[in-house]
Amino acid sequence: MVDTAIALTHSSRPRDLFARRLAAHLFTLLFLAAWQAASLVAPSYLLPSPVQVAWRLWSFVTSWRDLGHLTASLYHVAAAIVISFVIGSLLALIPYYVPPLRFAIERRIGPFLNSFSAIGWTLLSIMWFGVSPLTVIFAISAVLVPFALVNMLAGLTNLDAEILEMAESFTRQRWRMFALVIVPSLYPFIFATLRIMFGVAWKVTLTAELFGGNSGLGYMINLSRQEFDTATIFAAIILIIAFVHSMDQYILAPLQASVSRHYAY
Amino acid sequence: MSVVADRVIGDGLVLLALLAWWMLARGLPEFILPGPVGVVRRLIELFMMPEFLGHAFTSAWRVLVSIAAALLIGGGLAFLSHGVPWLEAVVDERIKPVLNSFPSIGWAILAAIWFEPGDFGVIFVEVAILIPFCLINIAEGLRNIDRELMEMGQSFTRRRLRILWRLTLPLLVPYGLSATRIAYGIAWKIALVAELLGAPTGLGYLMLRAQTAADSTTFLATCFAIVLMFVAGERLVIVPLERRFAHR
Repeated sequence: MVDTAIALTHSSRPRDLFARRLAAHLFTLLFLAAWQAASLVAPSYLLPSPVQVAWRLWSFVTSWRDLGHLTASLYHVAAAIVISFVIGSLLALIPYYVPPLRFAIERRIGPFLNSFSAIGWTLLSIMWFGVSPLTVIFAISAVLVPFALVNMLAGLTNLDAEILEMAESFTRQRWRMFALVIVPSLYPFIFATLRIMFGVAWKVTLTAELFGGNSGLGYMINLSRQEFDTATIFAAIILIIAFVHSMDQYILAPLQASVSRHYAY
Repeated sequence: MSVVADRVIGDGLVLLALLAWWMLARGLPEFILPGPVGVVRRLIELFMMPEFLGHAFTSAWRVLVSIAAALLIGGGLAFLSHGVPWLEAVVDERIKPVLNSFPSIGWAILAAIWFEPGDFGVIFVEVAILIPFCLINIAEGLRNIDRELMEMGQSFTRRRLRILWRLTLPLLVPYGLSATRIAYGIAWKIALVAELLGAPTGLGYLMLRAQTAADSTTFLATCFAIVLMFVAGERLVIVPLERRFAHR
């Protein structure tokens, strides 16, 4: 950390960049080798070998039933993100338009939602709705609402007062102002919020599906756990890591970057 | 004046919600939605029960140990990627993305398969869930370190340890604190899942037991106990820490 300056000047050199890539790939290989070695010692229900998992991964992406579970999970995540984003944003808009309710939202409802545990919501919704997709979507939405609320509140408090004043000098129609000025200046926050929610949603979804779902990857993991089919568990986890990471890295991040560039203050 | 009015409205809303809950619960059987009076009474009973206090203490202890361990490991990884240039890609492009998108129930199930039920398994899961949050925050802090300050430090001493202790670590304190705050929230809200599968003790286990026994009153009371403990910890430990250290 002392050599920050030196490290930074070095980093632009292509040879160094190559060395770093090499180190990363070597690390992957080393990791796989260690995994393989460990799987030779441990029984396969404790640690399946990478080859076994790769085979399972292949049969996963060629089986309609397995892909159906993946689709179910995707559907749960998407529905929950939409629902909780709408609810969270509406809650965040209340103090903006009705200032006396600011205390109620920011100091009472927000902290309460924010400190209620995810498992609490999951088990509670099982009691209310039984084992069904509704349970899963409800549980994920309940966990996500505070994230949407906090981020959108931050966005609304960061609105540029001068731009709002300018807009007011052009129109008195509140709806027009909302659609043409407030929402566009919130775009960076909206995308940041969606990106955070996407990450958290995947962390919670499998839990909700495992306990309260009759479809989805979490349900599948639960079945394989009962059958000591550890290879399937690994395959599902790897699939999720690959999906979440590539989605975040190649779709959400560039989208967010381009939006922020357009609408940055 | 208006602050008082806002407070009245806020607390009035809470009362209204409690009232609505009470009305709703009157028409529903107890195992679906117990009334607020019953839940509050059970909550008070729980806090007087040594068994419950034991479980609560176990959970709190595990959360604290996990946060400390995750800060150490996450911070260590951040320092590695920052201080050893050729390891940067290993940490940033291999370890971080994997840990960051690893589903939390995945860790819980793997721990249930690998380890005996008990403290170690639970703490393993919680640490694994918390590491990426600590890593990202501390890495951000290292990236934002003022290079001029570092240069100044180097002009005073050549001892790396001295610079680390006197300059780097104090500059990282705000980021460490925000990492702690995030980890604290995630630990109580999400990482508690570790106790559902991997341990016969702790609040997560209590919740699952109450839910399987269809004892909704105890279940809801436990949920609220977690809310109370979470808020108490935040007000009594995290906020004072932030107030003490945030503005350096």
